[in-house]
Order: sequence, then structure tokens, then C-alpha cells
Amino acid sequence: MDFQSCVKINREWDIVGARQIGREHAKKIGFGTVDQARIATAISELARNIYLYADTGKICFEIINEIDRKGLWILAVDNGPGIADISQVMEDGFSTSGGLGAGLPGVKRLMDQFDIISETGKGTEIRTVKWVRK
Amino acid sequence: MAKILHVSDKHVTIYIKIRGKMQHGGKRMDKHLNSIVINNSDTIVKDWLVEVSKNRHNDYTSAISEDLFESTNREFVNVIFSSLEKQGITSELDDFSEKLINLGWPLSYLTDGLQAFRRVTINFILSQSEKVDSDHLSKVLDMVDNWVDPIINQLVNEYSGSWEHIVSLQRVALQELSAPLIPVMENITIMPLIGTIDTERAKLIMENLLEGVIKHNADVVLIDITGVPVVDTMVAHHIIQAAEAVRLIGSTCILVGIRPEIAQTIVNLGIDLGKFPTKSSLRKGFQAALEMTNRKIVHEKGSDEGIESLLDSLNGE
Amino acid sequence: MRIPILKLHNYLLISIQTDLDDKTAIQFQEDLLSKIHKSGATGVVIDLTSVDIIDSFIAKVLGDVVTMSDLMGAKVVLTGIQPAVAMTLIDLGIHLKDVQTALDLEQGLIKLRQELEE
Ligand SMILES: Nc1ncnc2c1ncn2[C@@H]1O[C@H](COP(=O)(O)OP(=O)(O)OP(=O)(O)O)[C@@H](O)[C@H]1O
Ligand SMILES: [Mg+2]
Repeated sequence: MDFQSCVKINREWDIVGARQIGREHAKKIGFGTVDQARIATAISELARNIYLYADTGKICFEIINEIDRKGLWILAVDNGPGIADISQVMEDGFSTSGGLGAGLPGVKRLMDQFDIISETGKGTEIRTVKWVRK
Repeated sequence: MAKILHVSDKHVTIYIKIRGKMQHGGKRMDKHLNSIVINNSDTIVKDWLVEVSKNRHNDYTSAISEDLFESTNREFVNVIFSSLEKQGITSELDDFSEKLINLGWPLSYLTDGLQAFRRVTINFILSQSEKVDSDHLSKVLDMVDNWVDPIINQLVNEYSGSWEHIVSLQRVALQELSAPLIPVMENITIMPLIGTIDTERAKLIMENLLEGVIKHNADVVLIDITGVPVVDTMVAHHIIQAAEAVRLIGSTCILVGIRPEIAQTIVNLGIDLGKFPTKSSLRKGFQAALEMTNRKIVHEKGSDEGIESLLDSLNGE
Repeated sequence: MRIPILKLHNYLLISIQTDLDDKTAIQFQEDLLSKIHKSGATGVVIDLTSVDIIDSFIAKVLGDVVTMSDLMGAKVVLTGIQPAVAMTLIDLGIHLKDVQTALDLEQGLIKLRQELEE
């Protein structure tokens, strides 16, 4: 799938850039302020994980326009070390970096759909969608 | 829809079988049959009135007064006849169905009435016929169907249209009702929760709650769950989350209206309400809220009015 | 970028006006602790009214700063957390359980005074 826009995550400041762009998309699609904050926060988590654990990667956005619903699709891709045990990182409080370990399980709760594909040594891809509430 | 209505009708069962052959001539009305019906409308109407009154005793219309029932029946049958005379859907039919919708008469009054009409008319025409062969029978059935079916369709459409309209109105009303916030006093706000709470509604409630706390500058919010029928782990979870979010924005929640059975479920389910203050009644919660905002109820001689009566009206006891 | 820290009697007042990035947050943590050390302040109000996003990292920095300040003898109150931010924090599973909150800066100061007088 061709994504409308991608933001490269190379430096720490890119985390802020990514979430600002994500918020703009969310606003444009018609998300309320609370969902805008949820989306921006989810992007922040995903971008920071890329920066912390994979060094570089990208966050891409795609607006979904279906007949009966609209949404924002967010993709986080990196070629970092990958995640060996996905169920472990999805547990609240699990962190290898002394963080709160709230990031990934939090993103899952903040968004409506959430998928991780990861291969050790190859990288990680996280796809997540938020639907506009009717 | 139409099929279900036909099931119990013997004549129509025949009709369904032979319909395949009949379709080409379907739309035309037989002039001769038409005039039999119109010329004998008095008899048909009389038979029909007997039919519909039979159903009256143990159904939805039994609560309606005799006079109204009769006049409505008359109007109904007039509408049916005028649509036969004018050969189509009339504005009388629209007006009539609109009136019944507004009065809240059930659709089944109209459909039952029309089915009765179908039976009565068919019986009448057949009783007038010299010979009843299958050709004649199908002609009669076809004519009556062509007459009655459009009316039924029209009525069903009108009714379902109005239902959809009502449902959409109710959805909006429900959303507004969903989580009203009542600023009872400076810095004290009450949110009564009524009805079942699902995840969607919980989100809405939380949003309203937090926006309301900011808007009313509330130091204390009372969440009243008296009107929530079932508090399971999911509902409790949502309520706790709302209370925590309220704490984050700098206010305090008191959960009130904990009925005995709710206290039991909460403990049996092992739900930890943590450090959120809870009270059994809105009244007690309100008193606690007053204390938290450094106020208390002062009894003045000769004035039982004021806060006391306010509290009573809050409790509705 | 540095976040300004104001001193008012025994209290330190901070109003965060920018979208907090990680470096600024860490810098703020350091600045605040050294200011508490230098001034001997007993109370701190951090106003977050203009902050429209707090992710798990910033939440950790804030939570840590509260605990650290407490260790240094200064009580911290966070004020003005926006509803949308509060709901996001709840979704993240972050409850900032040991942190005091108030609706706005003024209320925060009142709360501090009450606590410190007790
Ligand atoms: N893109 C990634 N590549 C490799 N490992 C990852 C990636 N994202 C997350 N992880 C691993 O998953 C763990 C959990 O991530 P999560 O975001 O839930 O918590 P955290 O980053 O450790 O802390 P927090 O996000 O609360 O600050 C991380 O500690 C890290 O080991
Ligand atoms: Mg993380």
C-alpha cells in the first residue's frame, strides 16, 4: 500500500514532528480533541520506540475512507533488532530500558486496531488504526 | 413482510400458487368486479366491522374507547374505498396513517384490518358469483390483492419511516441524556448515571464528566450510580477510570448511590475501588462534598428550607 | 530550550508552555531539582494547562520529578492537566498515583499551603 505521507525517525526531535503531523491528519479527518490526543500520543510512543530500540525508521499515515466509516491508519516500520517475544512486550510494565513499559500496551488501548509483525534481526512493523466515532 | 401476512389466509395460499400465471394481467382492475364491490360497499363494510370487532376483546385496541374505535374503523374503511374508487394511493390514506401514527395506534391494527378486509371482500364477491372456477377465483383474488397490497405497502412504509425517524431522534436524545452534569453549588457538581453502561457510553461519560469539571470549576464531583441497573467488573472498571481521570485533572470524585447488592458485587468480584470515597446515598455524598469544600449545613431556627430541602429533593425520598 | 522556573516566597512556579520533547523534559528535571536545592523551596506547582500531549516518557519524567522533589523536601502539585490528556494517560495505564493535582495554578497554591500548614 502506498502511504500518503511518511515521517522519518532519525533524531529525537522527529518524535515531536511525527506526532504533530499525526495530529494534523487526525484533525482533518474529523477526530474530536480527545481522539486527536490519543492518536498523537500513540504516535509518540511508536516513534520513541523506534528511536530508542531501532535507531531509525519511519512513521506513515494513510487516511481510510470507506463508505460507512473513516479512520486513520498509522504504520511504524524499522529495520532494528526486532522483538523476540511479542506477548511479553505487550504486558503492562515490561520494559528493557527502565521505562514505564506503558508504550505498546498503551498504544493498543489508545487505538482501535493493532498488529505487530516482527522478526529478530530484521525489524518491526506495527500497524494500527483509529476509527472516527460516529 | 407481505408473505408473513398471507400465511394464515386460505384463499391467499391458493393465490400464491397461481400467481405465476397471473402476473401479466396483474395491474389492471376488473371493471365488473370493481363495480360489484363499490355497489355493495354497505354490506362489505358491515361484514368487515363485524370481523374487526371480533379481534377487539383481547388485543391492543381493547383499551381504546368504543366511540373512538368505531369512528376510526369508519374512517379506515372510507379510506380503503376511496383508494378503490380513485384507483390508487390517496392523500386520505397518507393523512389517515399519519394520524394513527401520531395517536400511537399499532401498525397491526391497520394490517389486521386490511387482511380482514381482504377476506370479507373475497367472500362477498365469491358469494355473488354464479360459477366459481379457478379462472374466476384467480381474477377475484388478483383484483383484491391489487387493491389491498399497495395500501398495506404504503402503510408499512409510513410506519417504518416514522419508526426510523423516532429511533434516530431517540439516539440523539439518549446521547444528550447520556451524561448530564448538574452544577448544584459552587465547586460541587453531580453526574447522575442512568441506564446500562457500555464501552462507547463510558467514553462519552468520561468526556462529559471531565469537560464539565473544567467548565464548572468543580472541586468535587458526585457520580451517582443509583440508576445503573448492573455494576459488573466492566462497569466498575469504567467508573474507576473516570474517577482516576477526574483526579488527574485536579478534582475529586465521590461515588454515591451504592446499593447493597452493588456493594456485594463489588466485593465478590474483587473490585478494588481503591481510595475513592464512596457513599450509599447522594445525600451523604453531598454532605461529604460540602465538608471537602469547607462548608457545612447550618440549621437555622424556623427555616427548614434551604439546603435541607435541597438535599431532600436531590434524594427524591 | 529551557523551561522558566519562577520563585514566589517558598514556592516554585512552573508553567509549561511548549510541546515537551524528551531533551527539554530531562533538562527541566535537572533545572528544577537544582533550583529546589538552591532556594530551599518547600512547594512546587507545575502547571500543564498548555500541554496537549503527555506520553509515557513525559509521564515518567513528571512522576520521577515529583518523587525526587519529595525526597528533597518539596511537595509538588500538578495543575491544569487537560481532559484529553487525562484520558490518554488513563488509556496508557498511567495513574500518577502518588502525585497531587489541582484544577489550576491558584488552586494548586491553595492546596500546597493547606498541606504544608498541616
Ligand atoms: N521498535 C522496536 N524494536 C525493538 N524492540 C522494541 C520496539 N518497540 C518496543 N520494543 C521493546 O518492547 C519493550 C516494551 O515497549 P514499550 O513501549 O511498551 O515500553 P518502554 O518503551 O520500555 O517504556 P515506555 O514506552 O513506557 O516509556 C521495550 O522495552 C523494548 O524492549
Ligand atoms: Mg516505549
